[in-house]
Amino acid sequence: MEKDAPLYLRPRVQPPLAALLGEVRFLHSLVDALGSPLNVLLPEVVAENAARFLSVYRRHRLSGRVYFAHKANRSSALVRRLAGCDPAAVGVDVASLGELRHVLACGFTGDRVMATGPKDPQFLWLAARVGATVNVDSADELRELAGLVRGHGLSRTRVLARLSGFESDAGYGGVGTRVLSRGSRFGTPVAEAETLWSALEEHMDAVELIGLAYHLDTTGLEEKARALERCVLLMDECRERGLTPGAVDIGGGFGVGYVAEAAEWESWTTALSEAVLGVRSPLTWRGHGYGLRAEGGTVRGTAALYPAHRTVAGPRYLDELLSRPAPALGRSPATLLLEHLNDLYIEPGRALVDQCGVSLARVLEVRRTNDAPDRYLVRLGMNAGDVSLEEHGVLVDPVLLPRDGAPGGPDGDGAGGGRPVGVHLVGNLCLEADLITRRLVYLPRLPRAGDVLAFVNTAGYAMDFHAHQAQRQPVARTVAVTQDAGTWRWCPDEDYWPLIHPRKGSS
Amino acid sequence: MRYDSITDAIGNTPLVRIDAAVHGLRNIDLYAKLEMLNPFGSVKDRPAWHMARPLLSEAAGGDGTVVELSSGNTAKALALLAGLNGLRFKSVTNRMRVPEIKELLLLLGAEIEELPGRSECLDPTDTDDPLTRFHQALSEPGSTYLHTDQYFNPRNVEAHATGTGPEIVKDLDGRAPDWFVACVGTAGSSTGVAKVLREHDPQVRVLGLVADKSDFIPGIRTIDEVHQVGLFDPATYDSIASVTSQEAIDGMVTLIRRCGLLSGPTGGAAYQGAVRQLAAVDAELAGTGDRQTAVFIVCDRAESYLSYVRDRRPELLGRTRRGHSSASLTDAEIRADARTVAVEEARQWLARGEPRPLVIDLRGPHAYATLHIEGATNIVDEVFEELVRSGLPFSKRTPVLLACPVGEKSLRYAALLTRMGHPDVRSLAGGIVAWRDAGAPLVRE
Repeated sequence: MEKDAPLYLRPRVQPPLAALLGEVRFLHSLVDALGSPLNVLLPEVVAENAARFLSVYRRHRLSGRVYFAHKANRSSALVRRLAGCDPAAVGVDVASLGELRHVLACGFTGDRVMATGPKDPQFLWLAARVGATVNVDSADELRELAGLVRGHGLSRTRVLARLSGFESDAGYGGVGTRVLSRGSRFGTPVAEAETLWSALEEHMDAVELIGLAYHLDTTGLEEKARALERCVLLMDECRERGLTPGAVDIGGGFGVGYVAEAAEWESWTTALSEAVLGVRSPLTWRGHGYGLRAEGGTVRGTAALYPAHRTVAGPRYLDELLSRPAPALGRSPATLLLEHLNDLYIEPGRALVDQCGVSLARVLEVRRTNDAPDRYLVRLGMNAGDVSLEEHGVLVDPVLLPRDGAPGGPDGDGAGGGRPVGVHLVGNLCLEADLITRRLVYLPRLPRAGDVLAFVNTAGYAMDFHAHQAQRQPVARTVAVTQDAGTWRWCPDEDYWPLIHPRKGSS
Repeated sequence: MRYDSITDAIGNTPLVRIDAAVHGLRNIDLYAKLEMLNPFGSVKDRPAWHMARPLLSEAAGGDGTVVELSSGNTAKALALLAGLNGLRFKSVTNRMRVPEIKELLLLLGAEIEELPGRSECLDPTDTDDPLTRFHQALSEPGSTYLHTDQYFNPRNVEAHATGTGPEIVKDLDGRAPDWFVACVGTAGSSTGVAKVLREHDPQVRVLGLVADKSDFIPGIRTIDEVHQVGLFDPATYDSIASVTSQEAIDGMVTLIRRCGLLSGPTGGAAYQGAVRQLAAVDAELAGTGDRQTAVFIVCDRAESYLSYVRDRRPELLGRTRRGHSSASLTDAEIRADARTVAVEEARQWLARGEPRPLVIDLRGPHAYATLHIEGATNIVDEVFEELVRSGLPFSKRTPVLLACPVGEKSLRYAALLTRMGHPDVRSLAGGIVAWRDAGAPLVRE
């Protein structure tokens, strides 16, 4: 085995993001002007992604809405671009008062907004006031909402009832097996739904049940198909009680493929097991095992890694979920939804902003590590909070953008030639733990101070979710870029509006 | 032969020579050890019985549950052994990927818990995964679980070291084969057999077969999964190679169609991997006058893997079906032959038609029970497809209104029935959705 061959995890890059990465001078000029780190977003792509999800709806003859889970990214440009999409087909899911205010300011009307997550009274009041749909977690939250509606003379508020605990649900047996699931602290367990139905009946003057919701944190289609089918059946129970739900909200979790080649992902994960067993040199900072450990020559534990190569993700994942036979009734979830006259709501976050953004960092310093002569430390003008790959277990190589010259890639020859080299990417905080990734990253050649590293596909959770101002290091600015007849244009995120060419006539 | 218990019939399986005309190795005698002929149907009967026996004798008559992480043959054997002893059996597994095996286990009375998929919104600090909870439940005080622990239990290896291995040596007239080829699952059979063979002859070479990482072959682990097996010791194998599910099926088909061995895909993988690896050895032996011997294991039988084959090689099972089928119609034929009727017109037809048209609702029975057009008959589309295959299921004198969710399937069937000679069959345009949207009445059962 060639133990020292570079183990790449090269990112999946599609147009127009691929074209943008080719604009090396343009990207350098942005970092020169706006500083490192810098987030760059492609708002057009989010609209294209929404269209891809909606084409899956069309294929299955389903109606309903795609709600963008705003928490995946703080950007205004992305939300404004989505606000410009078909109001009947595209909405937004907000999880805080701040997000709700933001989307309203970005052009979403209240009827296109879904309020989810933990809610304080101010959040509930504003959601009800603007006619948003409230995704209620519990009977208590429902009562609180009903009280606000009555007490403040608000109009009847549309709600979805969020359910959980499908695993221990005994209804509609005959499936034969039990699928275990991770517990969730959100939603009302199906076994306790009776209290929720009673509360909905009691407060029918203040709230209107328009559907049932769930979100399961899993990549498993089987668990999701079971929950979806259960919701369709529960909707019928609700109708028998005189409630009038019409939509099933299946949440998010459609996934993103970060790594382009399955073979690279497989080699790397195999090598991680071998490194943990000690049969090859470490692939990570101080032999970190990402949750794997060796015990008596056997690998134990589970790798806490996002499955970075996905053959089925995003809209295709939705398609698969809708197409496979559901466990109890045997019809596909798409057929069940259609036959029971239900709309489908989804709340993609990560998958909707796939290929929408890139995080740029300037290389500040390059030096040899003390312990291995052929490895280097590359210090960047960013920290682990600015591109939070480790927080989400996402492993992918950055793209090297040389100060002068063509984009570097393992296939091209970067400026000055050079050989592949293993580097540790360290951040700008005065902390031993501030590593952009604990993985030993192979670059096509050794970077130089002044080069830029581009972390691709960070718009979903990895861009600003964990960004902070610790140590007074600058927080990344965000710009929106658009392509206009072959020319790339940019504007600050807060200045973007979904007009055809931002800054047209001003450049 | 007379036995007091079916467990006495475990082991002593035949060793059968594969015809050289089939495998094409001119200088190697290739033998199949037919573990599929064990009474519960697989090589796992041996370790299951050997691991469970001491636990069962302690637990006899008690209120215990045998548990194991298995989605296949070990679960099958343990379920039967538990039942023999009046105990329950629970299997905790990753996805059951072969539906027939899942159903078979349910028939055997097993309780199955499937582990969830990977987390989508990853929390690297999370330690509360269902497998951890499973191990905690096993070690709780007062637990009545009897855990056979096949991936770590030395009795798994011992079952083969005292059974499978010595049987092979005996049947080869007291000699060990030159080659032993084994698929690596729990590593129990390869480790146990290899140990015995090497005691007889240290020159025995052992080839381990693992599944391609992105592939799935029942009973075989990928190279990463193998590292998680406590019984796996790389020193057992002279080499480790990978096989694909396509090779497994190729091998299975050869064993079935050419050798009279009703092998499943695991045995097929062992055969195909053995022939592939031994081809080079065979070439080296050519002209030397030396002959060598090789043994592989046929792990289990074919019948439980029909859907596995269907998913990967449908042509091995498929014949196109004859008869009328809506799938055979082109869009142009559908447009030319299907009549549609809009909601308002359909309501008039139902109210005043003479005779009143028969309304066929093609949706699932549950959706039908929830809401349907008054007086409609529910024939779910799959059943309707079967009904019309051999002829019209109702009189040509009865007009028919077909309804489905959006008027798409009903349009196909309207065209098909018209082509079959029905004079008045119409599809509800826009389906039940359009009917509802127009405010037309729907009733519930």
